Amino acid sequence: MLRKELIVIDVEGSSDEEVLRSLGARFVVAGVAKESFPDALVERERRYPTALPATAFAIAVPHTFKEHIKEPAMGVGILAHPVAFHQMGSPEITLQVELLFMLAVKDPAEQIATLKQIMKLIQNEEMLKAIKHAASVDEVYEMVSSVLN
Amino acid sequence: MAKNVKLLTVCGSGIVTSSMIANVITEMLEEEGYEVEAMEANPSEMGNYLARSHYDFVAYASPIDEDDLNGVPAVPAIGLITGRGVEEFKESVLEILKNAGK
Repeated sequence: MLRKELIVIDVEGSSDEEVLRSLGARFVVAGVAKESFPDALVERERRYPTALPATAFAIAVPHTFKEHIKEPAMGVGILAHPVAFHQMGSPEITLQVELLFMLAVKDPAEQIATLKQIMKLIQNEEMLKAIKHAASVDEVYEMVSSVLN
Repeated sequence: MAKNVKLLTVCGSGIVTSSMIANVITEMLEEEGYEVEAMEANPSEMGNYLARSHYDFVAYASPIDEDDLNGVPAVPAIGLITGRGVEEFKESVLEILKNAGK
């Protein structure tokens, strides 16, 4: 699911919408999501936010409905600066998110093994810190793939 | 004989997060000797699911409307994803099942 062209270091943006659109656009260019994907991500984030207070620091797992997705894919966005997102399940709480795991999921039953690994990754404090400080896309790719496979 | 548990997980899309949560809860309860059936829904579908079939409890990762629960116990489940509060979640669920005679 993870693709190098969907990994971005230093995602610029001062709002959740900006960073979602920026990383979401990569999915469209890579051909794994439809043109509607970035709008759908933003809209979905408004209604049902996806930030999580991971032990290492706050992250978000933005995703949207399958009609906007062509192929299952996962992207990683390391934010240049922390950006305010709302917490999943408790939208009244604002979290300063530093890392995005963006997901394009078509059939969760098929991707459940990967989703489980992503949960483990979210709970792995050391790994999240290492990803945040990675110097290159290749480094992020190696680290995240080692957890997913 | 294993005791059967039917649960509904709820998240914004009714797909991604609810599947993650369903998977963790299924493994958690199977370890306790339960036979688990998990369904996933988004918050607006939840009421219909609960009206159509009996569920032992709801685990939710997005805000839900209490009126839609119709008396079905509900437990917040974000902690299962972040890894914070997994034990508390398990205790709450086991308590609910015990109260239901399971």
